[in-house]
Amino acid sequence: MKTFSAVVALLLSLTVIPSTLADAPPDDGLPPCCRKDLQPGKPLADGSIYQLESKWTSDVGREVQLRVLRGKPQIVVMFFANCQWACPLLVHDLKRIEAALPDDRRKDVGFVLVSFDSKRDTVEALHAYRLKNELANANWTLLRGNPDDIRELAAVLGVNFREDIPGQFVHSNLITVLNREGEITGQVKGLNQPTSSALELLKKADAK
Amino acid sequence: MKATFVMLLIASHISWGATEGSCPTNMVQVPAGAYQPLFRAAGDPETRQVDSFRMDPSPVTNGQFLEFVRANPRWRRSQVKRLFADEHYLQHWAADFDLGSTQPDQPVVWVSWFAAKAYAAWQGKRLPTVDEWEYAASASPTRLDGRNDPVFQAALQRWYSTPAPEVLPRVRLSVPNIFGLYDLHGLVWEWTSDFNSATFTGDSRSGGGVDRQFFCAAGSIGAKDTADFPAFIRYGFRSSLKASYTVHNLGFRCAKSLSETTTQKLTNGNADIQNQHPSTQNKN
Repeated sequence: MKTFSAVVALLLSLTVIPSTLADAPPDDGLPPCCRKDLQPGKPLADGSIYQLESKWTSDVGREVQLRVLRGKPQIVVMFFANCQWACPLLVHDLKRIEAALPDDRRKDVGFVLVSFDSKRDTVEALHAYRLKNELANANWTLLRGNPDDIRELAAVLGVNFREDIPGQFVHSNLITVLNREGEITGQVKGLNQPTSSALELLKKADAK
Repeated sequence: MKATFVMLLIASHISWGATEGSCPTNMVQVPAGAYQPLFRAAGDPETRQVDSFRMDPSPVTNGQFLEFVRANPRWRRSQVKRLFADEHYLQHWAADFDLGSTQPDQPVVWVSWFAAKAYAAWQGKRLPTVDEWEYAASASPTRLDGRNDPVFQAALQRWYSTPAPEVLPRVRLSVPNIFGLYDLHGLVWEWTSDFNSATFTGDSRSGGGVDRQFFCAAGSIGAKDTADFPAFIRYGFRSSLKASYTVHNLGFRCAKSLSETTTQKLTNGNADIQNQHPSTQNKN
């Protein structure tokens, strides 16, 4: 019986190996945040934002640290789900960038939305946002956190924000491109910028 | 009216004097109150309420910061990660644990927001919010609302338009404000926990405020009092900072929420202040 299990395990592992060897992680239906750390063990670069110890919750309710995003370039935007004005445009900008990526590249770039609103953007609210905006599981990570950690991440990204009236945040419109190690490659300021700026930054992120 | 203020000042000084004598680092309890923020949304009330909180009477010194660095190796000049402090971090010291010609009782500068935050957490404290800092700093030595104090206003204008001296003075050489807080103006700039809450770009003193291209804003934000030059300079300075920046004249002091502390009775001085302040009537 033992030998039989071992053989089955071996066969199973053999069938799994090819997909784990591929560059792109397996599309197991989970958002990138909830897969395993892509490069565990290797020390982080001095300027990597993945040094932050803060804990976040994804829209599938998984508690993660930002370093789970390591291993792929990530495009990060801070937003809030109730935002009527700029955030839909920001997310639209990200979707335009996603669409403009070459087909073979699309799986290799992550998109991260981090909410300002720790009160209203619950796991459920974020998940509803994902569905409403048709954000594919394979590429998009939606995160919520506590106010201090949100303030800290914003400070690291150079995003300024303030809760103006309850539930309404005034905030920078800033798209940040992180390289595979979580270092800031560059940022796109403002709305409706040509996708070429972000694509250029992604190329730069690759070079490192 | 003037007599009341003088009495108040004496009362508050007596009580602060007593606490300082026993422990120079005792935090000051700032009573709840209100201040007029420089920027506000259309339709916002004129003043913003601030809950009672505790604040260090003076900025953190080099000597105090050295203790922190000794206890926390990751905050040594040679160890700190670039994400958390730029290459100028503590550059006025001679080495990791050597202040060089810097004096222990000068305010510590060349510290990043992360370093300031870590120091405060190590002390079981936190950085003050912009609201708390501005509210505390709006008081003059004799009045809760320093805007009505011409002597104070003149001194502010002078400091905010003068570059920092080569050698920083020691802390607590100035006259404390009515709460018993020293050096909020006139010594160094100070980090706040939400320094990155300013949402205007460049010189928007003339009104408009938020640049809609770069900021998502529900209501229009405009400067409340464009004649308040010192406040405008502070908001502008904060908005130009990044969390890893260190600057030759930027330090910090710690704060604490009342809920985080063991309850301590209000001193008489504080109670007097509360009774005097029209905007604190509904608080506590």
